[in-house]
Amino acid sequence: MLPSGLPEVVADDEPLARFLTSRSQFNSLMVKPGAFMPSPKDGKTSVFRHGAKPQESLLEIARAHAVGERTLHGVAICTAQQVRASELNVVAQEPPPRHANITGWPVAANDPELTKAQQKERALLIAQHAVLIRVPK
Amino acid sequence: MLEPVSAMTIQLGLAAVYSLARPGSAISGEAQAVQQVASNVVKSVETSRALFGRKGNAISELSALASECVHEGWDGEDARPIDPQAVSNAIAFLRALPDSLPLPEMAAEPDGAVSLDWIRSRNRLLSVSIGASDRLAFAWLDGSDRGHGVARFVGGVVPTRIAEGVIAIMDLRNAAVRAA
Repeated sequence: MLPSGLPEVVADDEPLARFLTSRSQFNSLMVKPGAFMPSPKDGKTSVFRHGAKPQESLLEIARAHAVGERTLHGVAICTAQQVRASELNVVAQEPPPRHANITGWPVAANDPELTKAQQKERALLIAQHAVLIRVPK
Repeated sequence: MLEPVSAMTIQLGLAAVYSLARPGSAISGEAQAVQQVASNVVKSVETSRALFGRKGNAISELSALASECVHEGWDGEDARPIDPQAVSNAIAFLRALPDSLPLPEMAAEPDGAVSLDWIRSRNRLLSVSIGASDRLAFAWLDGSDRGHGVARFVGGVVPTRIAEGVIAIMDLRNAAVRAA
């Protein structure tokens, strides 16, 4: 059991929240794939093990552990199963509480653009299923 | 000797052409020919204005995006600021995009690249990453079909694979579309 009380293994049916700090990361139809692309620093995508509700606690996690001083414009919610179906994985990584990483992003040796293209395809697969929650101003 | 032409002069000239282009009571062959030529000029001017405005708006949007994501960690994590070279390449790409193709939506990516997205629906979309190099990473989803690739953007010509991808994803195949 992790300090947050959650199990160490992220179950397939667990919802995952990805916080969106730019309006460019979504449109009226969907969350755009770029929102799920991995960090250039560690090659992982940071998510929190939380669903759309209760929204108060979701927003509290964003404020306390994710967006810092940035404005939160929205939250993308997907499930661990959807991530795994995209040939990626979700691994719990606390602290902060409830934090997890989307891992297993493909890397093409010595070809950053091909790496990017392969990762983008995975991000498209997650994005097509993600549910967008807009955060009111 | 050539002299600069003021915007006012051009506007006055266009006003005269607009006047000639209006359907009127021209009867003679010459008058009808003048009216036809004027009408063509008006159409051409209006098309240019529409295109310039369309791409101009997209470039303004891109500049606003670059300003929004100018700081390290703009995503609240480790995102790099949008790379000025990526912005410059994206502007060149937008300018090179054939006028018959729709303009993309734009987004920032954590590695400092600009994402150009053509989104028809949740499962029909094409996403192109423009970074600092001339090699463009792209991926698409078309129902159950999907894929990715890398194409070079050189000489101000949008890569054929990307142009054709936009046509397919945005359902323009039956329209009279020609990729540059």
